[in-house]
Amino acid sequence: MYPRGVPRSPSPERSPTLGLLLGLIVTLAAVLAYSAYITWQVEGLRRLQSDLIDRDRKDSLQLLRIQNDLNLLAVAMRDMIDNDEPYPLTAWAAQFQRLHTDLDDAMHLEAGLAPTTRTPEQNASLSSSLKQFWDAVDRVFALAGGGREKDARQQIQLSLQARQEAMSTTVARLLVQNSDNEQQAAQRIIQIYDRVQRQVYVFLGATLAAILLTGFSMIRWNRRLFARMAELSERRSELAQKLIATQESTLRYISRELHDEFGQILTAMGAMLGRAGTHAPEGSDLRNDLLEVRQIAQDTLERVRSLSQALHPVMLDEAGLETTLDWYIPTIERQTGIAISYEKQGAPFAVGGSAAVQIYRVLQEALNNVARHSGEKQVWIRLRFRPATLELEVEDHGVGFNGRPAKQGIGLVAMRERAELMKGEIAFSIPAAGGTLLRLIVPRENIELRVKEQI
Amino acid sequence: MAGLASMSQFPLLRALGAAGGTAVSPGFRFADVTSSAGIQFQHNSGAFGGKFLPETLGSGCAFLDYDRDGWQDILLINGMDWPGHKRRRSTLRLYHNNRNGTFTDVTSRAGLDLEMYGMGVAVGDYDNDGFPDILITCVGQNRLFHNTGKGTFTEVTAASGLGKRLSFSTSALWFDYDRDGLLDLFVCNYVKWSPEHDVFCSLDGKHKSYCTPEAYRGETCWLFHNRGNGTFEDVTAASGIFDSSSKSLGVAMLDDSHAGFPDLLVANDTQPNKLYRNQHNGTFKDAAVELGLAFSSEGRARAGMGVDVGDFRNSGHPGIAITNFDNEMTGLYEFSGKTYEDVAAQAGIGLASKNSLGFGCSFLDVNLDGWLDLAVANGHIDETVRNIRGNVGYAQPPQMFLNNGNGNFREVATELGGGFDGPKVGRGLAYADFDRDGDLDLLLTTNNGSAYLYRNDQLGGNRSIRFRLVGTKSNRDAIGAVVHIVSGGLAQSRMVKTGSSYLSQSELPLTFGLEKRDRVDQVVINWPSGRAEEFKNLTPGRCYECIEGKGIAAQDGF
Repeated sequence: MYPRGVPRSPSPERSPTLGLLLGLIVTLAAVLAYSAYITWQVEGLRRLQSDLIDRDRKDSLQLLRIQNDLNLLAVAMRDMIDNDEPYPLTAWAAQFQRLHTDLDDAMHLEAGLAPTTRTPEQNASLSSSLKQFWDAVDRVFALAGGGREKDARQQIQLSLQARQEAMSTTVARLLVQNSDNEQQAAQRIIQIYDRVQRQVYVFLGATLAAILLTGFSMIRWNRRLFARMAELSERRSELAQKLIATQESTLRYISRELHDEFGQILTAMGAMLGRAGTHAPEGSDLRNDLLEVRQIAQDTLERVRSLSQALHPVMLDEAGLETTLDWYIPTIERQTGIAISYEKQGAPFAVGGSAAVQIYRVLQEALNNVARHSGEKQVWIRLRFRPATLELEVEDHGVGFNGRPAKQGIGLVAMRERAELMKGEIAFSIPAAGGTLLRLIVPRENIELRVKEQI
Repeated sequence: MAGLASMSQFPLLRALGAAGGTAVSPGFRFADVTSSAGIQFQHNSGAFGGKFLPETLGSGCAFLDYDRDGWQDILLINGMDWPGHKRRRSTLRLYHNNRNGTFTDVTSRAGLDLEMYGMGVAVGDYDNDGFPDILITCVGQNRLFHNTGKGTFTEVTAASGLGKRLSFSTSALWFDYDRDGLLDLFVCNYVKWSPEHDVFCSLDGKHKSYCTPEAYRGETCWLFHNRGNGTFEDVTAASGIFDSSSKSLGVAMLDDSHAGFPDLLVANDTQPNKLYRNQHNGTFKDAAVELGLAFSSEGRARAGMGVDVGDFRNSGHPGIAITNFDNEMTGLYEFSGKTYEDVAAQAGIGLASKNSLGFGCSFLDVNLDGWLDLAVANGHIDETVRNIRGNVGYAQPPQMFLNNGNGNFREVATELGGGFDGPKVGRGLAYADFDRDGDLDLLLTTNNGSAYLYRNDQLGGNRSIRFRLVGTKSNRDAIGAVVHIVSGGLAQSRMVKTGSSYLSQSELPLTFGLEKRDRVDQVVINWPSGRAEEFKNLTPGRCYECIEGKGIAAQDGF
């Protein structure tokens, strides 16, 4: 009757809410902590990138620009020494001036970007070399301007070219230094990435564990909850079935009492009043009164029998469902004024005992509902004897469920419980023409079993 | 206009506008009239397998009215076989305009049937005798030909003082930088190259290919001052032009500072471009870096080839186009108050030019709608380029970017007919109204191939007005004069100029498109001498001859 493993009377359980809440808090805390950690690491990376690498690269670009200008100066000086242009050396002055301007600009920008690792001596060295170079350039052009081209060329070879080469070497060293800085920064970035990667695994593990714990806990609580619900449902059903059984036996008892006890009493009273009547003079008031009383007794007897039948048709126990319905349907038709179209299909088999009572009660409740709620005066009843099942359909085209109060009475619950008792199925639907179609399907084996039980 | 002004704040919107141009008809068609006009020209690069650098760069062309009959004649520059590899004789070609759509080859008659390794051409009346003279830039010695006025030319290279200079010259232009009324000469030089000093370069490590200019030393451009007695003085050093690192291919004149003294823009290959600003004292100062013209917007020196200057926004300030190597967009520079800004990408020219190697380029109002359009001759320098870059061909279609008037351009070459959009190894590009119908026709040269003459046939009935300027106090060709016109609320300006494009020269008369406007309200001419003249209410549909200080005279038709 109860699912295996579930205690019949479980002790009151602690609510899972607290545990779940705790799991959620732990998970959220882990996510928050990890987000903070990642943000911190990313911030560090960004700082490293902008402070070191980007600055370093921008600095390298300016150094390359300086290097390029120095190379252009070298090319210009080579052309000046080659002396294959038909122009005086002073012709190069504008070219040198352009490069001077560009170098000054590049040096200025480079000074603002120079990495912190650069020593002040290194910074001073390049700018002072450059200053000395331009001073020497001025001297060369002064010589050239004074017509001493040969001396000027000599100065280019002795002084300018050497200075240019020295500066070029200095710039190359600074570039190498920047490259080293970049490599170191790249190494640090790799370390940060490694650290973050490790933390990611830890975080993922912790989050997974928290999710698994919470998940298992929820599954456990769900299982308990479902078991409890199933048990409650079972108990409710059991209670309902007991109630139905009690009701049936009570009704049967009252019905028998009415039929047997009061029936015999009233029959005896009638016979005695009949006999007493014959002793009274013909046409006397006494005789008339006695006959009238006897008639009342007779009527009462009829009513008692009718009530007995209504409470529990004895016919059900004696003649089975089919015969009872043959009697019941015209009776209820008369009593309620509802036109009932009754149809039987299939090869009939015996339906008696408990099954007959339950089916009869379902029909009775359905017809009561029609009479009380549907507002319809036409009902179709179909009883189908199928090879494996017995099927009862009650159809009306009244207001249906939609038109009724939302809260269903005990009648529908009782109908479901009765169907359940027979391991049958009951379904309510809306036919195409509107109203309600009740369909009860009971397996034949359960009917026959119950007939045998009866026997 | 408010809408356009607000749109100009959103370069992306402008770019989208340019990209999503509606399929409006260009308003004109091209007809390839090369053969029917009688032009049978084949460029000889002299290529014999030695892969000498100059072979792949020539050559140019010019429209000139050498006999002063009012009809534009054609000059096509030619190379020749290299010494030791002589196979045939090839000379430049001068074609006389027969005034009926055809030309006659008058090379021999004109005395120009001379062999030289010609590259570019600059035409200008340097002695103010009324007849245009010709400078041919060469690999070796440049040649100056004086126009006798009798349909012939005499070579005056040595007599003029331009002799005894061997170089690899490219584009050149005539201009009067000191405003003394005499045309001076500016010559671009590419690199220090001679067959003896040719460098071996290879793309595949085995076969020789054409070198990029990095393999050679730069060479300064030259500036020659016209002494007025038929001779020139080399003022390259004195004027501050001297720069031994330059590798120049194109030059254009402009009045960047609006001072009436012409400035020069030089397009350098793999070196920073130069903008030589006229200091009004016979010297120049390079201002390209501070003006944003030296480098690309990424700060890189591009491979500048051809260059042209034109008021394509009708703002009164010249804009600049510089063609570059493939994988480098054509530069389209717009003046933004203090500096120039490369707007090629936003204007719809950048992406369209990225996979082509541009050489000749010209601003011209090809559909006469009052807005300068841009024509570009494309072609790669290496026949095997497709083996290395699959989406770039050796022969490439020329391009025609139509100016929509709102800062956007639409490429319409495929809609023009006449086979204009057929792939060509394009180099030189020049324009003129050779048939005097009021619109501008195109002349395009190809490397080691034919020249193409495209006649412009207007379809939409747009009107135009043309001006032929004659200087009196200014140089006779009025080179450097700026004409401003206002017609129906549309203001335009053009400069009379030589140079521009690549190795080529277009006609000197100015053509203004007017769309359907039937009157030119105002014309202002700023002469190189400093004189300004104003004329009102001119009727379109004809050419006006304006003689400095002597008023304006309408011609019969164009």
